[in-house]
Amino acid sequence: MQKLLTVLRREYVSRVKTKGFIAGTILIPLFMIAVSVLPAIMILLKSEDPRKIAVIDMSGEIFDGLVNDLDEKIETGERKYQLTKKQAFADDLESVKETLSDEIDREQLDSYIYIPPGVLDSSKAEFYGRIVSNFQENERLEGAISRAVTEIRIKRSGLDPEAVRRLTREVSLRTFKVGPGGTEEEDRGYSFAMAYGLAMFLYMAMFIYGAVILRSVIEEKTSRVVESVISSVRPFDLMAGKIFGVGAVGLTQFLIWALALGAVSLYGVQVVGMVAPAAKSVSLPTVPIAVLVAFVVYFLLGYFLYATLYAAVGAMVNSDQEAQQLQWPIVILIIIPIMFIMFVIQNPASQTSVILSLVPFFTPIIMLARIVVQMPPLWEILLSIVIMVATIAGITWVVGKIYRVGVLMYGKRPTLPEIIKWIRYS
Amino acid sequence: MEALRLENISKSFDKVQAVDNLSLSVPAGKVYGFLGPNGAGKTTTLRMIVQIILPDSGNIHIFGKPNKRESLDRVGYLPEERGLYRKIKVHEALEFFGELKGMKRKDCQQKVNHWLDRFGMMEARRKKMEELSKGNQQKIQFITTVLHDPDLIVLDEPFMGLDPLNALLLKETLLEQKSRGAAIIFSTHLMDEAEKLCDSICLINRGQKVLDGELKTIKRNFGKKSIILGYTGNADYLKDASLVKHYNDYGNHVEISLSDGASYKTLLQKAMQHAEISRFEMVEPSLNEIFIATVTQN
Repeated sequence: MQKLLTVLRREYVSRVKTKGFIAGTILIPLFMIAVSVLPAIMILLKSEDPRKIAVIDMSGEIFDGLVNDLDEKIETGERKYQLTKKQAFADDLESVKETLSDEIDREQLDSYIYIPPGVLDSSKAEFYGRIVSNFQENERLEGAISRAVTEIRIKRSGLDPEAVRRLTREVSLRTFKVGPGGTEEEDRGYSFAMAYGLAMFLYMAMFIYGAVILRSVIEEKTSRVVESVISSVRPFDLMAGKIFGVGAVGLTQFLIWALALGAVSLYGVQVVGMVAPAAKSVSLPTVPIAVLVAFVVYFLLGYFLYATLYAAVGAMVNSDQEAQQLQWPIVILIIIPIMFIMFVIQNPASQTSVILSLVPFFTPIIMLARIVVQMPPLWEILLSIVIMVATIAGITWVVGKIYRVGVLMYGKRPTLPEIIKWIRYS
Repeated sequence: MEALRLENISKSFDKVQAVDNLSLSVPAGKVYGFLGPNGAGKTTTLRMIVQIILPDSGNIHIFGKPNKRESLDRVGYLPEERGLYRKIKVHEALEFFGELKGMKRKDCQQKVNHWLDRFGMMEARRKKMEELSKGNQQKIQFITTVLHDPDLIVLDEPFMGLDPLNALLLKETLLEQKSRGAAIIFSTHLMDEAEKLCDSICLINRGQKVLDGELKTIKRNFGKKSIILGYTGNADYLKDASLVKHYNDYGNHVEISLSDGASYKTLLQKAMQHAEISRFEMVEPSLNEIFIATVTQN
């Protein structure tokens, strides 16, 4: 036990002290913040230029409706969409279009819209612009044209557009999540985002920390240091110390992130609010304690399961390249639950979801997602934990034997029958 | 007192019998040479002593106790394939190995400083392992073997890759350990080193013991003395089987063991016809001679 702790401490200290750990601990959350928050802030902060748009309205009826609809203003008080009407007739249409294209090219104009004479029947219009990839704006224009066209159609049919608008107003569906004990809480897609986000996080963590174990075992093996070490400590203790040590590194990283996240959720909104007043209205979702506990439990279980498997691969190979070839069964086991995650989030209590969440290799990701979306019965959670612990114990027993023989085998990669022999005889 | 005893140890890998019914005994305070040609089973035996691999049959007693994992805390082992953690500092690596042997952290740091000083490597204390030269890495690895004042030191080819200065340092250190009362068993195929260091030897071939005992006794019992002949010129007479049983030609001198019934006078006469003789001496057979004679005969 003392020796296991010595190994654990070396693995832990030698990793936590590296620049890679410090950089990773800081950069990974920064990266995640950048990916998730920045686009939102960008939209809030965006200083917009007005769009100069020419409109060739061959129908002659749409332009006024468009001007009415596209009435938003930018910070300077100007209209965002500055529309100008271009006259054209069937015979000079092509030359008008060419002139406008030239103007766009010389940046006197941003874009132009062509509304054909029969738009009321054909429901087709055309948009030409230097930038056509701004989908939000494209959708905005499309909506405006549609509404203008609809308005004319309604007028023509003799109905009152205002009355039709009133009659056809859409219903907005607010969603509330009913939690344990019947508590109700408004949900704006947080459940989905959280389930998906935590599942992806576990998925990445399994890969990242698994790779750390794998490299650590291979390094000891290729540097031949392992022979000195296991003349002092049982191979099993070495393996266990290594797995616990790297696991402790992972938990340290989580703890730092959790503290940072706590600070952000307490003060972050105010800080961002100073820069962008609009962000003050953003409220960060709170993570229920049960989810937090489940996350730590399933991270640890999943980590021990996959770290042990990766340790076995490390013990069997002689180089990183060989490891690449041999680790695909583990990779597949990690990927499968991600392939089902959408289904599970949408149907958390279905039979398929229940079965998947009880397969020990899939439990961490699937069960965690289920807990976030809809708390499963307690017995299912407990059963999944019991199955995982039993699986980990069994795998550790087998891998301990592979490890004992494997770490001393240099040269040829063992075949499956050889590995079975190691397990049976060592 | 007996530090190490092997009783009828056997080990096979697949169909190869690596070690076959081997027994030997190493007393405390003695240096024991474990000799044999390549692939004789030396490394396998040493690995079984430190319980890295387990024998198929037989018992290994360390300090009188059979097959006890705990005994290993009083054993130091230098494997043939050297290697240390590359990314950590010298003193951290050494302290790690000391603690693995059950030393207290404080004692460990003290010992590490003592040994680094002894090997003139104090300035490397805070360097990373990978920054050291190969020779210095070997010294560090040797320190991990003796750091905890082990009562049994097991060395697999300790002289391999050492320059003469470091070989001398190693020899001195081993003799210090011996006078401290530690038992030392080491494998080598450098007969010179073995001859100078060993109190007893064991010679194995194809996993079996072919010769063992005190070096003095072995030399005495080997029978005929060897003849050392210093010469320049033709050496064809050495090929006369009625005269010379076998010989080792070192270029400027040759070690000869006479055939049964041949006389050294005839040899000397023959030699003088063909070559200039600068030296003629009858000596105890060298370990090298014994090694070659025994292994080829076997």
